[in-house]
Amino acid sequence: MMVEKKKTTTKKTETKKQDTKKEAPVKQEAKKQAPAPAAKTVAAPGVTTKPEDARIGVFICHCGTNIAGSMDIPAVQEYAKTLPHVAYVDNYKYMCSMPGQTVINKAIKDNKLTGVVVAACSPRLHEPTFRTATKEGGLNPFRFEMANIREQNSWVHMHDREGSTDKAKDAIRIAVAKAALLQDLFPKTVPVEKAAMVVGAGVAGMQAALDLAAAGIKTYLIESTPSIGGRMSQLDKTFPTLDCSQCILTPKMVDVGRSQNIELLTYSEVDNVEGYIGNFDVTIRKKARGVLTPTEAEARGIVGGGCNGCGDCEAVCPVIKPNVFEVGMKPRKAIYINHPQVVPLIYTIDFDSCIKCGLCVTACGPEKKAIDLESKDEFMKVKVGTAILATGYDIFPIEKKEEWGYKRFENVITSLEFERLICASGPTGGYPVRPSDGEKPKRVAFVLCAGSRDNTGIGKPYCSRFCCMYSLKHAHQIVEKMPGCIPYIFYMDIRSFGKAYEEFYYRIQDEGAKFIRGRVANILEDPKTKNLHVYADDTLLDRPVDMEVDMVVLAAAIQPAADTERTRRLFGVSCTGDGWLQEAHPKLNPCGTTTAGVFLAGVCQGPKDIPDTVASAEGAASAASIPIHKGEVELEPYFATCIEERCAGCGMCVNLCPYTALSLVEKEGRQVMQVTEAKCKGCGTCGGFCPGGAIWMNHFATPQIVAQIDAFLLGGEQ
Amino acid sequence: MAKSKGYPEALEKKLHDQRYYREDSTPDFTKRVEDKSRTIAHMCFQCGTCTGSCPSAPRSTYRIRKFMRRAVLGLESEALNDPDLWLCTTCYSCTDRCPRDIAPTDVIMAMRNMAFTHDIIPVNFLKTVTAIYSSGHGVPNNDVNRAARERLGLTRDPPTTHMYPEYMPGIRKILDHYHLKENADRIIKEREG
Repeated sequence: MMVEKKKTTTKKTETKKQDTKKEAPVKQEAKKQAPAPAAKTVAAPGVTTKPEDARIGVFICHCGTNIAGSMDIPAVQEYAKTLPHVAYVDNYKYMCSMPGQTVINKAIKDNKLTGVVVAACSPRLHEPTFRTATKEGGLNPFRFEMANIREQNSWVHMHDREGSTDKAKDAIRIAVAKAALLQDLFPKTVPVEKAAMVVGAGVAGMQAALDLAAAGIKTYLIESTPSIGGRMSQLDKTFPTLDCSQCILTPKMVDVGRSQNIELLTYSEVDNVEGYIGNFDVTIRKKARGVLTPTEAEARGIVGGGCNGCGDCEAVCPVIKPNVFEVGMKPRKAIYINHPQVVPLIYTIDFDSCIKCGLCVTACGPEKKAIDLESKDEFMKVKVGTAILATGYDIFPIEKKEEWGYKRFENVITSLEFERLICASGPTGGYPVRPSDGEKPKRVAFVLCAGSRDNTGIGKPYCSRFCCMYSLKHAHQIVEKMPGCIPYIFYMDIRSFGKAYEEFYYRIQDEGAKFIRGRVANILEDPKTKNLHVYADDTLLDRPVDMEVDMVVLAAAIQPAADTERTRRLFGVSCTGDGWLQEAHPKLNPCGTTTAGVFLAGVCQGPKDIPDTVASAEGAASAASIPIHKGEVELEPYFATCIEERCAGCGMCVNLCPYTALSLVEKEGRQVMQVTEAKCKGCGTCGGFCPGGAIWMNHFATPQIVAQIDAFLLGGEQ
Repeated sequence: MAKSKGYPEALEKKLHDQRYYREDSTPDFTKRVEDKSRTIAHMCFQCGTCTGSCPSAPRSTYRIRKFMRRAVLGLESEALNDPDLWLCTTCYSCTDRCPRDIAPTDVIMAMRNMAFTHDIIPVNFLKTVTAIYSSGHGVPNNDVNRAARERLGLTRDPPTTHMYPEYMPGIRKILDHYHLKENADRIIKEREG
């Protein structure tokens, strides 16, 4: 098999070789031409070494046995010596160590190198390290090129010593070809606006905003619903300490409302984002609320007016709608507040259901004049240096998993509904009842992993991470509040991983919760009693179970909040296949994103419990405050540059740019493209597309890339 | 319970509805086991350290973890009627290693006690009772042992009721107090005629 594969590869390469040979003269011509105009147009005073004068040093890293264990380092070293431009070759056990860096530093000086190639790990890991070493040796740091012979070679070809040695030779040859053409580049700095934005005012957004505000940064906190607090304000108690959720959240909500540095914009959405790190221009849409705050009233000349939250309007409103905050289990009027502790205490009109009868306007009275039935969406623009996304989550529509009968069987509810039922301020005053008959349940089954850990395409493949723990808490609350009622927990694993979580699990089991290890297969309803038969396999007993219970609580999976997709596109943040926002690095940069200046806090990045959410928010706030406190940011000099004499001004690149970095400007009587360097990410979309070859991608310029391809296909004989 | 269809016994047993229903459970069984065993049986989280440690498990169908599960679920009749209940050697390895500090051995002993009140007990256990009643030993001394002891320079009989038969009445008094001998004799007679 292996041999066959190799043969095919060689054949392919041969055909390619022939093709390239035919085209080679054309390309070489282009190569000769391109650097010259580029050197002229590159904004930074770039120093270019003529390719024939290039002296490249190659440094091969063993990475302990990570690399050296899978390939013949001396053979690679001997090969590297034969390559054109190579003036010096060395190897070291750990190139990234201080002695390893000293080897580079010294070799640059002793051998008058013009470029450095390190064959080691991924540039994502150690490019900054070796750039610094290159700089310390007296070269421009961008005269460095990395050949990845670990992640893309020794690790994946661990059992093919010969093959990995050959591949390392190829990688080094390619890197040397590019290194010979590298230019000096100089990063740009841009000033940073001393303001930040946090999108979403759940516990993550609030914590991030409070931290930023405490660090002296003006912070705009945007919340799409009428009040702040998010999911956490819907919860009754929190595990494992059993603190009342509202009790620990309310002080933070009040702080947010009071903070001088936080400008709270509820019932508002981000409408548009322009700009880049340090200088984001954000358009905010303030949705028509129909009710004026005291400040807004004053701005309209109504002195001492505006909503004071008295509720007179609500009393007279004739329209009744389900209360979304209570998961539809309580009624609300067309003019409403979510719950008694709302911050800000300002009513909101649901214009989708308001019949504009005007009763509320009369009730509000001529002094306050808080209600404006004709209010429209308003737009405001703010400038911020950094932004934090904290858009949170929604409950997965668990009725899609039909086997559990949610929305078909009255006594099957979700955990969020149970949370409201067990909450003293909820629709039942904190004593859960069966939706079918209002009776107190005697036996309650909890279905864990409902829709989580599900690869059918209907549910979610990931673990929602907090369902085990809140279900344990629910079991505790049942034992505590409803003596005689037995909670049955159907589980696959109990994931009680956090601080004091396992101890909590122990406590709940001790309190009398019954644990049945087995995922619930299906649920059927007894049509007379409305009791439910829960079918599962007690995998510990190795016996199928038919458990008759009064009520079933589904610990439904969670998914990104509905508006996450729109918001992330505005900020240019990528997401995983599940829609969770993508962090810059899952371990080492969990709050950052690939868009400089945009950070992530809380569950929008992936399921998190409250402690993790708050920690992540504080991390994001800290990360977002760094550029602001520094006052300026350095941008990678990888931006595109227009070679104006070649630009036809067709403008096709302008629409292709995903970062709106390009525009057409009038120069010497004709249209040419201009790059806003700070916005450009160097993605190369424009450079690859330009029909006239007029775009020079710094550090990834066409001649450099062509040289790499030639080096690979022609084996270095150019 | 599935209706008999006249299949051979083994197949009949296989086809029997083995589903566990809520009604199968005796809710206070867990508590009675705990009262007798003086251990927190309900805290078992079924890690299986007990069965893994058990010297009986690899040589038999005895699975102590399943008895712990039955204790937690209140499956009284199933636990007490399982003949595997009598395969524990009471070596206490499981008790030594249980991470939740439960004494599974004591749970087994409690279940055996409860089973005995329903006359559920293998005859060989009752024969041990008879042996203790007559000699004070579950495994009385014999001539092979006596010869071995002599070779080792020991007394022919150990310093127990064998050497001091005058203590036998006391032992019999204890056994009589619990009607152990009486019940053992009755059950042996019923089974062996």
